[in-house]
Amino acid sequence: MASRRRKLLKIIILGDSGFVNKKFSNQYKATIGADFLTKELQFEDRLFTLQIWDTAGQERFQSLGVAFYRGADCCVLTYDVNVMKSFENLNRWRDEFLLQASPSDPDNFPFILLGNKVDVDNGSSRVVSEKKAKAWCMSKGNIPYFETSAKDGTNVEEAFMCIAKNAIKNEPEEEMYVPDTIDMTNRAHSQTSSGCEC
Amino acid sequence: MDVIIDEEKWLAEGIASVQQNAFYMLRAVDSDNLREALKYSAQMLSELRTSKLSPHKYFELYMRAFDELRKLELFFKDESRHGVHVSDLYELVQHAGNVLPRLYLLCTVGSVYMKSKEVSCKDILKDLVEMCRAVQHPIRGLFLRSYLCQVTRDKLPDIGSEYKGVGDSVLDAVDFVLQNFMEMNKLWVRLQHQGPAQVAEKREKERNELRDLVGKNLHILSQIEGVDLEMYRDTVLPKILEQVVNSKDELAQHYLMDCIIQVFPDEYHLQTLDILLAACPQLQPTVDIKTVLSQLMERLSNYAASSTEVSDHSLALLVSSFDTICLLTMSILQVLPEFLQVEAFAKLNNAIGKVIEAQIDMPIVGAITLYTSLLMFTLRVHPDRLDYVDLVLGACVRKLSGKPKLEDSRATKQIIALLSAPLDKYNDAVTALTLSNYPCIMDYLDNDTNKVMAMVIIQNILKNYTCISTADQVEALFELIKGLIRDIDESPGDELDEEDFKEEQNSVARLIHMLYNDDPDEMLKIICTVQRHIMTGGQRRLPFTVPPLVFSALKVNSLVRRLQGQDGEADGEEAPASPKQIFRLMNQTIEALSSVPSPDLALRLYLQCAEAASDCDLEPIAYEFFTQAFILYEEDIADSKAQFTAIHLIIGTLQRMAVFGVENRDTLTHKATGYSAKLLKKADQCRAVYACSHLFWVDEQDGIKDGERVLLCLKRSLRIANAAQQMANVTRGSSGPVTLFVEILNKYLYFFEKGNPKVTSSAIQGLVELIRTEMQSETSTPDQGTTAFFNSTLRYIQFQKQKGGLMGEKYDPVKL
Repeated sequence: MASRRRKLLKIIILGDSGFVNKKFSNQYKATIGADFLTKELQFEDRLFTLQIWDTAGQERFQSLGVAFYRGADCCVLTYDVNVMKSFENLNRWRDEFLLQASPSDPDNFPFILLGNKVDVDNGSSRVVSEKKAKAWCMSKGNIPYFETSAKDGTNVEEAFMCIAKNAIKNEPEEEMYVPDTIDMTNRAHSQTSSGCEC
Repeated sequence: MDVIIDEEKWLAEGIASVQQNAFYMLRAVDSDNLREALKYSAQMLSELRTSKLSPHKYFELYMRAFDELRKLELFFKDESRHGVHVSDLYELVQHAGNVLPRLYLLCTVGSVYMKSKEVSCKDILKDLVEMCRAVQHPIRGLFLRSYLCQVTRDKLPDIGSEYKGVGDSVLDAVDFVLQNFMEMNKLWVRLQHQGPAQVAEKREKERNELRDLVGKNLHILSQIEGVDLEMYRDTVLPKILEQVVNSKDELAQHYLMDCIIQVFPDEYHLQTLDILLAACPQLQPTVDIKTVLSQLMERLSNYAASSTEVSDHSLALLVSSFDTICLLTMSILQVLPEFLQVEAFAKLNNAIGKVIEAQIDMPIVGAITLYTSLLMFTLRVHPDRLDYVDLVLGACVRKLSGKPKLEDSRATKQIIALLSAPLDKYNDAVTALTLSNYPCIMDYLDNDTNKVMAMVIIQNILKNYTCISTADQVEALFELIKGLIRDIDESPGDELDEEDFKEEQNSVARLIHMLYNDDPDEMLKIICTVQRHIMTGGQRRLPFTVPPLVFSALKVNSLVRRLQGQDGEADGEEAPASPKQIFRLMNQTIEALSSVPSPDLALRLYLQCAEAASDCDLEPIAYEFFTQAFILYEEDIADSKAQFTAIHLIIGTLQRMAVFGVENRDTLTHKATGYSAKLLKKADQCRAVYACSHLFWVDEQDGIKDGERVLLCLKRSLRIANAAQQMANVTRGSSGPVTLFVEILNKYLYFFEKGNPKVTSSAIQGLVELIRTEMQSETSTPDQGTTAFFNSTLRYIQFQKQKGGLMGEKYDPVKL
């Protein structure tokens, strides 16, 4: 019934290299908590609102944990093609996501991989080849792979389109929560808060 | 445990209720029923009114509601579906019964309202941030404001933002975030005063979990592009710091200072150092300010280092692309002068001084950590300013002065880091030697740590092949490593592991080899300096340190000789670095060793010096060294094995000495043969005596060739071999091995071939027959080794006979 309407997609970005903040800068600015942004996107005749949680690039400022992973529609993994360690960490990020978000079908959960900063030094400092990255994607159930440039955001749009396309393909039969027969009014009254009525 | 289980239960109930209400809410949304949607969303949000959950669990519940609200937000946006204009909707949601759900809904609509661009963002933001004051419960308030933060995040009026309407300015966005930050900080700090005192620890833990909600505001400020340096310096930073200082709360102050340093860019920090640093002494005394400052300095030094790297790199790029380089270098080259211009070092140094002064209770390790960070900063940013390095060390010395030696292991570890930093940076210990405060700090270390540090210095020198080339440097160096050179505080190093001790002293020995100067005069000074120091080392160290010194000194002699050769001077008598001088010094040095007592070692060194003196054509000195060696032999070498070895060393050296005139040589060879004949074991006697034969036959031009006395030696050794054989017969009833005879036979062959006329073919023939008889006698014990030795000797004679020519003729009379 709502399928023709605007579709909301929740996307989590994880990895050692952030990409939403794509402005070229050699200045380091830490992110606190997850950066939350929305983005509107038209794909075919459908309008999408993307709800993007970008945590990429830091772990230190996550004092409340990662409860926001839950309910994600897609997880975007990022690494820096110039830093081997960031590629090696991909497995850890993927496992961490599956563990914390606990999606209902972890084997088929949609991931996307972004190889970032391909433009740095015209690619001369690159250490992870496209072939290697694609091989990794293949081994994880054929994850779509995009290479992006930190400077101008090449392919970022394509990556989002891909997410939208995936979302349509995997559209479930509007899975809905069927309520138990609990008397809501009673419970609402028993709810006590510590002397404050706010 | 119960609490945790209960909490899980409450969370599960909360989630169930959120899901149930969300279901009805979405059903209402699908049927475009605004009234019902509002009703169920308010009920859903009521779950967030709970006081039973810890921040972590509350966050989980909050996230459930957050995700559902996004769907509601989409519905709100679509006026065509519910028919209510967003401005009316903004009024309508305020009818919700409870404050908390009402405000969540208001923020949600507010976000839609701003997105519609029908209203000034500034007004809505102001309204929302004020309205949220209604919730004063700390956890609920913090999450509500964090919601406000998140939904307005991408709609703040900023440079280039589509929401920057007429009359809205960046300043409105900044004011909004700052105000939200202040309110949140107050809620957060106030949380510590809630509830009974018994659960204070748990509460602090919870407060710590909530910190990123507050810090998030600072992150948003840093992301606003319109916050340029000027606005940051004049508005943003002072306001944040005012909050931080006034909160008078340890946790908040430490965390927020850290946040400021991490979220804002380096160049801002550099340009606002004064303001930031001035806040430090105003913080609570318990705040771990050293970590904060250390992180700041680390950031700044990384900044300086990365920009120099880039500039190196950009030079490389110059070849390929001229345009890029222009851009890059222009941005990069500004950085380092920037550090100088703002006097970053002076400011940091000053601030650290003030912090240490203000925080009287700061443990010494804290102060040292701060100085270490400052030193790292200096080394990376101003590698050319050794005076800065010394200044930091000096400040550290002042902090340490008047205190007893450090016992805190963390503090001593820090000091090692502090002192190692300049060594690692410059890879040149000589640089460290010029720092006047360096040794002062070493003095505050306990003996063990002092030694560790001394080893670090030595290893650094050895690793980098650093040449220490002046006596002054050597003096300074030995002052630094004195912990290894002598016992300090008269505490004998008994407890030290023997192996560790050896390793230490071997390192010192290797170090001595690294001290070198091409100029003999300076080198002599170096030698004298080292000698003075190592003489204080005591009997355990001298055997390690004297030999390298002696060999270093002998190197000077060859140096002098080479120079003399060049200048054509006959004698360097008057030069300060005359060989005589050096030999005199060596004599004293080795003497110390003989009293240690290490007579074997001393004897070897005397002989080494004697040979060197011979090379220098200094007969009396060579003679003196031999005399010393002989005295040692007579008085201090008692073990028969050691005596046997010593005799061979003496004979070997004496044989090579060309300097002696007949008289001296006779005296010495006479002594040597005398010693040989007096050895305890007959076999030793025999071998030493035949070795003496070489003293009379030097196979060089002008070498002594006294065939008569050679033969005497050989005959004498034969007699001794005979005597040994007879003694074996008497004592064991069997003759001993005939090895000695075979050995003597080989000596005969040697001199025979060298053309000693006294050694004849018949003598050889006789000796061969003698050996055959001995070997066949019934009493002899067959010995495989001897038989093989003899057989190969015979094969050699056979070979020489068959070779023909002169040698063949010479051997011809020998019949086998």
